[in-house]
Amino acid sequence: MTELEIGQEVELEFGGKAQVLSVIGSGGQGTVYLVRFNGQKWALKWYDIDKMKKPKEFLKNLRSNIADGPPDNKFLWPKYLTKEAEDGTFGYIMDLKPEGFDSFVDILNTYKLEVDPLTGRAVKKDVKFSSLTAMITAVINIVNSFRLLHRAGKSYQDLNDGGFFINVNTGAVLVCDCDNIAPDGSNFGIGGKPGYMAPEVVRGIAQPNVQTDKYSLAVVLFKLLFRGDPMEGEKVVRDVCLTESSELKHYGQNAVFVYDPNDASNRPVRGIHDNVIKFWRIYPDYIKDAFIRSFTTGISDPTKRIIENEWQKLFIRLRSEIIMCGCGRTNFASMFVQPNKKTFKCPKCGMEFATLGFSNRSYRMPLFLGCKFYECEMNPESEEFMKVAGELVENKLKPGVLGIKNCSDRKWRAKMPDGVFYDIAPGKGFPVWQGLEIDFGEIKAQI
Amino acid sequence: MNIDDINKQGASASPADNYSSAQSNDLLDFDDDPLSATGVSRKSLVIFFLIDTSGSMKGKKMGELNTVMEELIPEIRKVGEADTEVKVAVLTFSTDVKWMYSTPIPIEEFEWARLRASGVTSLGAALKELNARMSRNGFLNSPSLSFAPVIFLMTDGYPSDDYKAGLRELQANSWYKFGLKAALGIGSEANDNILTEFTGSPDTVVHAYSGGQLAQMIKIIAVTSSQIGSKSMTLSDDTSHELGEEDVFAAKQKLLGQQIQELVGKSETDDVPFDTGW
Repeated sequence: MTELEIGQEVELEFGGKAQVLSVIGSGGQGTVYLVRFNGQKWALKWYDIDKMKKPKEFLKNLRSNIADGPPDNKFLWPKYLTKEAEDGTFGYIMDLKPEGFDSFVDILNTYKLEVDPLTGRAVKKDVKFSSLTAMITAVINIVNSFRLLHRAGKSYQDLNDGGFFINVNTGAVLVCDCDNIAPDGSNFGIGGKPGYMAPEVVRGIAQPNVQTDKYSLAVVLFKLLFRGDPMEGEKVVRDVCLTESSELKHYGQNAVFVYDPNDASNRPVRGIHDNVIKFWRIYPDYIKDAFIRSFTTGISDPTKRIIENEWQKLFIRLRSEIIMCGCGRTNFASMFVQPNKKTFKCPKCGMEFATLGFSNRSYRMPLFLGCKFYECEMNPESEEFMKVAGELVENKLKPGVLGIKNCSDRKWRAKMPDGVFYDIAPGKGFPVWQGLEIDFGEIKAQI
Repeated sequence: MNIDDINKQGASASPADNYSSAQSNDLLDFDDDPLSATGVSRKSLVIFFLIDTSGSMKGKKMGELNTVMEELIPEIRKVGEADTEVKVAVLTFSTDVKWMYSTPIPIEEFEWARLRASGVTSLGAALKELNARMSRNGFLNSPSLSFAPVIFLMTDGYPSDDYKAGLRELQANSWYKFGLKAALGIGSEANDNILTEFTGSPDTVVHAYSGGQLAQMIKIIAVTSSQIGSKSMTLSDDTSHELGEEDVFAAKQKLLGQQIQELVGKSETDDVPFDTGW
């Protein structure tokens, strides 16, 4: 029973029946259907076991994943198994993708196709992040979800652009296709997608594991930020046709990062890789250095790959360095002029931005009307990357006076212009002034 | 403290202005918006359909073929994802050889123009024409990388010209060598040996004897080959020795043969053959 019929009922392992309503999509291992179960709509993935190398082991692994549950709510995790059909086929149900999320593929393409149900004609619709903050938040969420997964002792195995849904307005992330996730060291036959696979997997000398996940994660991040392939440059394009052997060469045996500082043989080509050329000029050095490390020393030595926690810190920093200037220009602080250590200045309109220094960071955070402090920045243990803990706002009663509002649920202390520290309860705020000092609890900050 | 104190306007010239002017020009001399990206550069995959439109295809065969090709396009659309731009080129051959469109059309914009059948089966001329266009200066002119093309031949009869001469020319073409080749013989007149000569292996040759089978086989071959063409090799379970060029050579063509045979084996059909029931 490779394919299910519309209207067909599939029995679940622990009782109840799911009725097939329509086809959502099909992939390498099977087909995903929209089903009704217990009065609600779910997605049912039904496997084509003939395409699987080890269906029995796969099922066993799936069962233990369901028992373990997801590392956190960023995963569209398998929920219930179906009964095995007579011929051994099986499937599982999971939550449907919520509204408002776009696939990573559509984000990379910058559009999605929506088919007009009347004409059957496909119409292009733009898919773009609504803000730079949303994009970097998405990066932080992707990195964090893999950190949690690896901490649970599991690896994703075939990390690629089909594995995520992202809300382009908020940066919220959902990791999907979680059925190949397996304990680190095990593999049930999945290989990966070219371009995302670690070179040692392409070369056939390693199977997917946590270390190869780290390589694939770096590729995903590179593609999201730089909108291109980290290994596709002049050297690769010269081959014209990407045959099996050229793939083995350029992504396995002789993979060269397009911005390898010691090997200029594979630089991006103008006219083909314009995105990469442009964005490489925009990102600050600490981000570029992390990618250089991942794709140079990290190619031959998997232990030199950037660990998730490090990516997480780098991107939390990057998000805090976004400046939205009053003139409409939004960019990273590194793309602003720095007339002195504590000030940034917009090269376009000349507006200047004061900065805040934190006790736990070596870099300063630029301040502008509307800038936000996230929970994960106020509390080093926090994994709340989207929860706003503070915001720079204008005083409602004293127009023109700017200050920081405490949006967290903890009490802060701040030094006021009279030189005295006051308690700042949740919902209260304090003005930003030359001698400002803030005590967030563990972390302290000052102008 | 007010807005102007924190965010000093440039007009209130500060001593820092001179210090920064050179740097600021440098920052502004290009489009620096981190969000204004174009789509990632995609590898292109051209699917060539070589379709026999000779007189013997008239009637049910052609009707079925036109219908399934119309339905097939949306299914192939899903194949490319972010990495691959799939394009379609259709070459028909009867007495004359004709391209449906003068260049390969991206699958998102492709519309099937219904075909009519008449004339003889000039397969040799079609293979020559394919060889002529399957080049960097012809249809495979994408500035970025390409996957090797998918070439899918559908015919219902014996060629009426010297197909061997055409095939010899084509076999010297590198795109053909690395391409994924599959063939479908329609009805009982189609010649297996010729189709196998074309694809290079019997695994990638299938038959359709009825309308239902025709639709099924076209879908199986077109979808499977474009999936394999736009993705890459699968992995070996054996990680004890490193893969070499000889291990991966023609890996996709072999995989295509395996998958087509599996899928064909599975699909049984009991509807009426083309040549019975008259």
